[in-house]
Amino acid sequence: MTDERSAPAGAVLVVGGGISGLTAALEAAEVGKDVFLIEKNPYLGGRVAQLNQYFPKLCPPSCGLEINFQRIRNNRRVRVHTMTEVKSVSGGPGNYQVTLESKPRFVNNNCTACGACADACTDEIDNAFNFGMNKSKAAYKPHDMAFPMKYVIAKDACGDASKQAIKDACKYDAVDFDMQAKEFTLDVSAIVWATGWTPYDATKLENLKVNSSAAIISNMQMERLASPNGPTGGKILRPGDNKEPESFAFVQCAGSRDENHLEYCSYICCMATMKQITYIRSQYPDAKITVFYIDLRTPGKYEKFREKVMADANVTFVKGKVADIIAEADGGVTLVAENAVTGDKVSAKVDLAVLATGMEPNAKGQAAALGLATDGNGFILGDEGMSSCGCAKKAADVVTCTQSSTASAMKAIQASRRSV
Amino acid sequence: MAIRVEPDLNFIKFLKSAGGDTLKKCYQCATCSVVCPLSSDNKPFPRKEMIWAQWGLKDRLVADPDVMLCHQCGDCTAYCPRGAKPGDVLGAIRAYAYTHYGFPNGLAKLVSQGKNLPILIGAPALLILIVWFLSGGMHLPQGDIDFGNFFGHGYFMGLTKNVLIIDAIFVPAFAFAVFAAYKGVSNMWNNMAAQLDVKSDFRPSVPQFITQFLVPSVKEILAHKRFKECGTNHDRVNGHLPLLLAFIGLFAVTTYGMIRKDIVGMFVEGLHGPIPLSDPFKILANVSAIALIVGVGILWMNRSRMEEENNASPTFYDWFLITKIMAVGVTGLCAELTRLIGIPVLAYLFYYLHLVTILMLFVYMPYSKFAHMVYRTFAMAFEKYRASEFVQKTEE
Repeated sequence: MTDERSAPAGAVLVVGGGISGLTAALEAAEVGKDVFLIEKNPYLGGRVAQLNQYFPKLCPPSCGLEINFQRIRNNRRVRVHTMTEVKSVSGGPGNYQVTLESKPRFVNNNCTACGACADACTDEIDNAFNFGMNKSKAAYKPHDMAFPMKYVIAKDACGDASKQAIKDACKYDAVDFDMQAKEFTLDVSAIVWATGWTPYDATKLENLKVNSSAAIISNMQMERLASPNGPTGGKILRPGDNKEPESFAFVQCAGSRDENHLEYCSYICCMATMKQITYIRSQYPDAKITVFYIDLRTPGKYEKFREKVMADANVTFVKGKVADIIAEADGGVTLVAENAVTGDKVSAKVDLAVLATGMEPNAKGQAAALGLATDGNGFILGDEGMSSCGCAKKAADVVTCTQSSTASAMKAIQASRRSV
Repeated sequence: MAIRVEPDLNFIKFLKSAGGDTLKKCYQCATCSVVCPLSSDNKPFPRKEMIWAQWGLKDRLVADPDVMLCHQCGDCTAYCPRGAKPGDVLGAIRAYAYTHYGFPNGLAKLVSQGKNLPILIGAPALLILIVWFLSGGMHLPQGDIDFGNFFGHGYFMGLTKNVLIIDAIFVPAFAFAVFAAYKGVSNMWNNMAAQLDVKSDFRPSVPQFITQFLVPSVKEILAHKRFKECGTNHDRVNGHLPLLLAFIGLFAVTTYGMIRKDIVGMFVEGLHGPIPLSDPFKILANVSAIALIVGVGILWMNRSRMEEENNASPTFYDWFLITKIMAVGVTGLCAELTRLIGIPVLAYLFYYLHLVTILMLFVYMPYSKFAHMVYRTFAMAFEKYRASEFVQKTEE
């Protein structure tokens, strides 16, 4: 089966609609290539959309995403498929056949994002965008800045009455519970893998006992807590009891640089922590913050940022990896490490502990099935017709991601040129 | 506090050969010091030992009680993000320390390396073979097999020739081992005390030392208190406990046998034959022998499993002791069984091998992994001493 708007010769497929995929798609399209951009989520923007602020300039993600969405909207060469994943790839450089599957949104293009369906819906689901820290209606807008600006319905979570109410509430006839998953095939000459990353599953770090306390969160959860469109409206509160934390601790290398988990450095976590200290400081001027680290890696221009944060007298840096976390009765947690500089065991009792969890490439599990070559850690290597960019290629910050995405666009253009 | 690092390359080479070849992978994250169930809150181990080892600071390491206090639970190795295996490295440092403190040093060095195995086995085997040959006992016995006639028949000053020969070999060997261990341990103690960096105005008297430091340590060892705190390698206590009790049982039996045969036997006739199977001490001996084989067998399997799971590296240091104890147990049991069944050739052969393995166990005790029984005991005593008033109240 072929898409009704069948691909013109020399088209490029970009897999993943985060900052890297958006960049690669636009860079290729803006020099005249036809581009298919597919994204498994119901919205574009990926991890960046979930951030409160980028480092080092501390601007909100709308800053970079809005302009890219605008460019997509204005460029007829980019065709976007959300809720879509690659099922299989065949062929070779210049001539790939890619089978894709789109999951049903149960909301069609008539949607104006008025929200009447969500008001009518009586069922709730965990809010995945906020890492389950709150609930959303089963008929939901993924987030305030979602693009495309359309609702989604988690049909399986809705009861019959709720479904009827949702359908009745929609004035635009946008709800369609009969939508089916759709499989289709594209012929493309090059593929860009921009499949991104997932925060490392901290429950695998047995000694940190993440499930023992609500006071242990990941750094991505911290982004959501600090974000104005997050579960707390941007107020950093402890999940569970909504306490205003008086003390914080950051656990660096939670999963990274560890051959039992992720053997590489995830690159962004040190800077993410530095950035998140600024979030805390803006809300809690006197909060005590302790950072446990092995090495602080804030290369190049990030050194200045680090120096500024380290000048804060209420932030303590301890060289030593946290190897034990004990849940306390008052809802806080005690972190235990050895200070490798003084040689003493130190423990810090804090109200909220943030694990600087590393980046696990999303392609890790799927790459073999799709016939993609990866390095030992699941990062995609790429070849003549396919390339990887962003965090599908290596753990990287946004700047590096957009650079490698531009490079990938260039490779895709070259591959499609060769094939014509 | 500036430290001038003067690495001793030979020391690092030794560690690598003794199973510490992973030590350079350590990047000092200090996970090990926290996950270690035996480490203290004050200057925990083994992170600091890892960097000292990387720097080749052997003088600090051999004077560090923590190295001896480590029971190689394996939790540090399991959680190590770099595969640096701190547990193995500390084991290698202990092996080095036994060689370092070993007296005489030449023998200690000889025992530390697998390539010397032909000499290590050959010398005692030859010694006993020559004595056996010269004793005139090297022929098949007439009638019942009695190891009391192994080195021939005859009496001298009320003792059998056999008893005299056995005593002439094993009493000096045992005394030598005790003396060598004493030399090594007292050296270690002095080095450890020097590292404390406090002046001791008061020294504990010998009875004080024994009651306040040594006896509590021995009690702790017998109870396997620390072994039981181990996480990853918790099963090891199931092997070590029966093995330790077996050694105590066999020591008691041997002492009883010596008093019965060698002392009382001088005055009372008929005590030189084999002790009857129904004798309580013979029962203890047999139970201990089985506990010894079972215990060391469990440790053997445990060690193999750890190595298979890559939680430990195979080393001569570890396997020499395990196989040696297994050999003592198996040869002893086989000698007894073939004696009871009545196969003289095998009985005598196994008895000969049994004597050889016991001699090896005695003489190599102060330098092989077996030395841990004295070094670790005294390190535990030192730990208590360090925390005691003898050290703490000397400041003012």
